Amino acid sequence: MSAVQARPLTGEKLIVVPYRKVSASAVATNVVLILLGCFFLLPMLWMVFASIDSNPDWAIKIPSPTIANFTDVLGRADALSSFRSSLILAGTTTVVTTVLALLSAYPLSRMHIPFKRSFMLLILFASGLPVSMLVVPVYQMYVYLGWLDSLYTTALFLAASSLPFAIWLMKNFIDAVPVELEHAAAIDGASTFRILREVVLPLTVPGIAVTAIYTFINAWGAFIIPFVLTYSPDNQPGPVEIYNFMGSHGLFKFGDLAVFSLLFSVPVIVLYLFMSRYFSGAFNFGGAVK
Amino acid sequence: MLSEVRFEGVHKIFGTETAVEDLNLTVNAGEFLVLVGPSGCGKTTTLRMLAGLERPSYGRILIGDKLVNNVSPRFRDVAMVFQSYALYPHMNVYDNLAFGMRARGASNDLVAQRVRETAEVLGLGHLLQRRPSQLSGGQRQRVALGRALIRQPQVFLMDEPLSNLDAGLRVQMRAELSRLHQRFRVTTVYVTHDQVEAMTMGDRIAVLNAGRLQQVDAPETLYDNPANMFVAGFIGSPRMNFVPGRLASSEGKASVSFLGITTPLGTGARLTAGAASGDVTVGIRPEDLMWRPAAGPDCTLTLHAEVDVVEPMGHEAYVTALCAGETVTSRFPPRSGVRTQESVELALNPARLHLFDAQSGITILQRPVAAAAETLRSVGEARTNEPAEGRSERHRQPEAPLAPSRSEEIS
Amino acid sequence: MERSKRLATGSAEEFRMAVAGTLGPRLDRERFQWSSLLMLAPGSVLLLVLFLGPVLYALYIGFTNLALVGSRSRDYSFTGLENVTRMLGDYVFIKSSWLTILFVVGSAIVGQSVLGMLLAILLRNAVVPIRAVVGSVVIVAWVLPEITVALIWYAFSQAGGTLSILLGHTSSNYLVLVPMLIVSLANLWRNVAFSMLVFSAGLRNLPSEVLEAAEVEGASVFRRYRLVILPLLRPTIVTNLLLVTILNLSEFTLIYAMTQGGPGIETTTLPIYVYQEAFVFHQLGYGTAISLVLVLIGAFFSLLFVRASRSQV
Repeated sequence: MSAVQARPLTGEKLIVVPYRKVSASAVATNVVLILLGCFFLLPMLWMVFASIDSNPDWAIKIPSPTIANFTDVLGRADALSSFRSSLILAGTTTVVTTVLALLSAYPLSRMHIPFKRSFMLLILFASGLPVSMLVVPVYQMYVYLGWLDSLYTTALFLAASSLPFAIWLMKNFIDAVPVELEHAAAIDGASTFRILREVVLPLTVPGIAVTAIYTFINAWGAFIIPFVLTYSPDNQPGPVEIYNFMGSHGLFKFGDLAVFSLLFSVPVIVLYLFMSRYFSGAFNFGGAVK
Repeated sequence: MLSEVRFEGVHKIFGTETAVEDLNLTVNAGEFLVLVGPSGCGKTTTLRMLAGLERPSYGRILIGDKLVNNVSPRFRDVAMVFQSYALYPHMNVYDNLAFGMRARGASNDLVAQRVRETAEVLGLGHLLQRRPSQLSGGQRQRVALGRALIRQPQVFLMDEPLSNLDAGLRVQMRAELSRLHQRFRVTTVYVTHDQVEAMTMGDRIAVLNAGRLQQVDAPETLYDNPANMFVAGFIGSPRMNFVPGRLASSEGKASVSFLGITTPLGTGARLTAGAASGDVTVGIRPEDLMWRPAAGPDCTLTLHAEVDVVEPMGHEAYVTALCAGETVTSRFPPRSGVRTQESVELALNPARLHLFDAQSGITILQRPVAAAAETLRSVGEARTNEPAEGRSERHRQPEAPLAPSRSEEIS
Repeated sequence: MERSKRLATGSAEEFRMAVAGTLGPRLDRERFQWSSLLMLAPGSVLLLVLFLGPVLYALYIGFTNLALVGSRSRDYSFTGLENVTRMLGDYVFIKSSWLTILFVVGSAIVGQSVLGMLLAILLRNAVVPIRAVVGSVVIVAWVLPEITVALIWYAFSQAGGTLSILLGHTSSNYLVLVPMLIVSLANLWRNVAFSMLVFSAGLRNLPSEVLEAAEVEGASVFRRYRLVILPLLRPTIVTNLLLVTILNLSEFTLIYAMTQGGPGIETTTLPIYVYQEAFVFHQLGYGTAISLVLVLIGAFFSLLFVRASRSQV
C-alpha cells in the first residue's frame, strides 16, 4: 500500500489493474481524513469568523468583516491586565520550573545517587497526581502563609506541580547526550563546571527549549490554580477572565469573546510551532521506566 | 616525556562479572602496545581504567611512577581516541581541537599555533570551520586523532579507532597511525579486535581472553611461539589447524604422531619442562600445510587427503580437506586446479609444528625466534625516518632503549 | 582461570565474600558526590514544600471536618472514617464516580485512543498535503488553551450553534440535552492529538524489515495491521492507555468552564465535585476526602503503568 501511495493519485501508473483496488482504499483514506479534519476545524472556525464579524452569533457564518472587535478588546483594561497577569504567571513558572528541572535532571541522569530509582518512580507518580487533590491543602497553606492573591506565589505552586514532569522530560533529553562526550572532555582536562557549561549545556538546549515551552503552554492555560489562589481583578489571568466573561451573558459581546480567546491562543500556537521540530522525540514512551 | 604504564594485579568486577582478572602488564615508554582479543575479553575495560573512566576493583595502575588509581581523568595527562570519535557536535573542527588546550589554560596564541600545526599534520587545514556533521567518516577520525595529538600527552589511548571506517580507508589510516607513532613516539595503548591491525601496528601485542592476559610479545614472536591454543587460534588467518596427536620420547629423542604419520621433532625446537609423553594437540598453520607440487624441499612429511571445499581468494586458495578423519585447512597456490573430492598430497615441514598440552592448551614446544632481526630493523627505520622539520624537535626525545622487551608475561 | 570460574558461580553474596577474602576491600565503590546533592536541592525543596507537603496535608485534611468558613474553619477535628461513611451514603458522590468512569472510559480510553490510532494510521498513508493540513489542525486543537476549547465547544453546541444547524434542530441546546456526550466529545476533540502523536512515534519506530517482510509475504493491509503492527505496538498502546487515563481522570477546566457540572449534576465528575464541596459548599475536609479517592484510582493506574512498562523490557 505504502509503495503505491507515494505516487500521485492521478497518473498512468494507477491504471494498471492490480493497483486499482489499492487506489480505492487510498481514496477512502484521504476522504475519511478530510471529514475528520472538518470535525476538528469547524469549532475553531467559529472563533476565527466571529472575531472579524460585525454581528456574530453562536453559529459559523460568513462574516461581514470588521476590526471593531479587535479594537474593542484591545481598548479594555480588564483584557489587557489579564494578558499581563498571564505573562507574569506563565513566565515565572517557566523560569523556575526549567532551571530547577535542569539542575535536578543532570545528577539524576549522570551521577551516582542512592535511591535514584525510587526517586524517579516517586517523580513519575507525582506527575500523575490530580491537581484538584492539591488545591485544598495548598489553599489552606497559602491562607496560613498569607500568600493568597499574588501572581508570584501562585506561579511557585504552578512550578511545583509542573516540576515532576519537567524533570522527567529533561532527564530523557540529557540521557540522550552521549556520555562519551563528557568522558572525552574530562580526558581533555576540562573541569566539571567547564564540561557542564561547554559540552552538556549546549547539547541540552533542545531539551531546555522543549521543557520551557511545554511548561509555558501549560501555565498559560492553567485555570483552577489561579482561579482558587487569586481573587483581585488585577490578578486574574486570561483563562479565569475568559471564564468570567463566558458567565456574564450579555455583558460581553460574542465578537469580543472570540477575539479575546483568539489573541490568547496565538502565543501558545506560535510557541508550539517553534518547539515541534524538537518535540517528536518526547513521545517515545517505549521504555519510559527501566 | 616518555612514560611507561604499569598494571599491577588489576581486577575489574562488574556485579558478578569479572571483566579483568589479575592483570600484570607493563607498557614500555614510547611503545605502541596493542590490546587484542575477542569482544568482551576486557580490553576496552582495561583501556578505560587507564583513562580513569573506570576505577579498578583491586590492584594498582601507574603512569610514569605515579599511582593513578584515584586520579581523575582530567589530571592523568592521557589522550584518548574513542571508537565513536566523541567529537563535540556543536563545535567546529578548530574548537574541537582547541578544547583540551583551552581547558588547560593555554594562551590563545599558543592554541592557534598548535591547532594550525596539528591540522597540517593531519591534512585538516581546510576543514577547520566545519562541524563534525559536515565531515566524512575519515575526516572525523582525523579530527579525533588530532584532538589527542595536539595535547602531547604522556600516553595515547585508542579504542578501536578504525573500526568505523571502510576497508580501504582503514588500511590507509593504519599506515598513517604507524607513521605518526614513529614520528612522535608517545607511549600508546591501542585496543582492537582486529588481528591484522594488531600484527601490523603493534611493537608488542597483548592478547586477552575472558578477562585474562594470555601473552604479551612482539607480533612475530606471538605468531611463531603462541603461548597457548587460544593465542595460536586467535592470531593468524585462516585459523591454525588443531589435530590430536601423541608425544613419545625414547632415549632423549622425542617424536610425535598425528594424522597417521610419525615424525621426530626438529632440532631447533625444544620441549618445555612440563612436556610429558602422551596425548597432545598438534597445531599446524594453513600456510605450513602445502600442496605437494608447490612445496619446498624441507617439507619432508607427506599427508594424503581428500579435498572438501576449495575457496579461491585470487592470490591464493584455501583448501579444506579431510585427512585421517580430521578436517584441515591449507593454503594452495591460486590456480592449482584441484577440485572437491579429489585426492591430494599435502606437504609439511616438521620444524613448523606447534605442540600443546592436550588438557591445558599450553604450549609444550619452544621454537627459535626467527623474526627478531626483522623487528629490530623496523625500529631502526623509525629513528631514521624522523622528519627534519624544526617543530618536531621537541618530540625528538632522548632515545630510550626502544628494543621491545622479550620478557614473556604469560599468565 | 580457576578462581574466575569459582567466582563466577555461586550467589552474589558468596562472590563478594570470596573476593573480599582474597583481595581485601573493593577500591571502586561508587562515591557519593556532594555536588549532586547541591544540584538536586532546589528542586527537592520546592517539591517537598509545595508538593509532598500538600499531599501529606491532604491525607490529614481528608479525615477531618475542616470547613472553609464558620466555626469549623478554626475548630476542626479528626473525624476518622466519618467522611468515608458519608461518601458511601452520598448519592452525588456515587453518581459523580459513575460519571467519572463514563468520562474516562468513553472519552479517553475508547474515544481518544481509537481515534488517535485511526488518525495515526490514516495520516501515515495519506497524500502529503492532506496529511500536513489535517495533522496540523488536530495538533492545534490540542495546543489551544483549555478555556478556549471550552468556549468554542460551548458556542458549537448552543441552540443556534453550528452543531444544531448541522443536525437540523436549531432550537436544541445540545449542552443541555446531552451534556455528558458533549463534554466528552469536546475533551476527545482536544486530547486526541496526544494519542495520535504517541502512536505516530510508535509506528515510526517499528522495525521496517518486519513490515516489509509481511508485505512481501502478501498479507493484506488489514491482516498486516491486525497480526503484525498492532501486536508490535502493544507496549505503546498500553503506555498510551494508562497515560491518557491518568491525565483525563483529573480533567477539570474544560468541563467546569462549559457546564459548572450541570445541568443539575449531570456533568459533575469527581474533580468538579471536589471543587464544589470544598469551595462552594465550604466542606474542605469532605472535598479533600473525595480527592483522595481520585488519587487512589490514579495510583492504581500508575502502578499498572510501571508494571506494564517493566514487563515490556
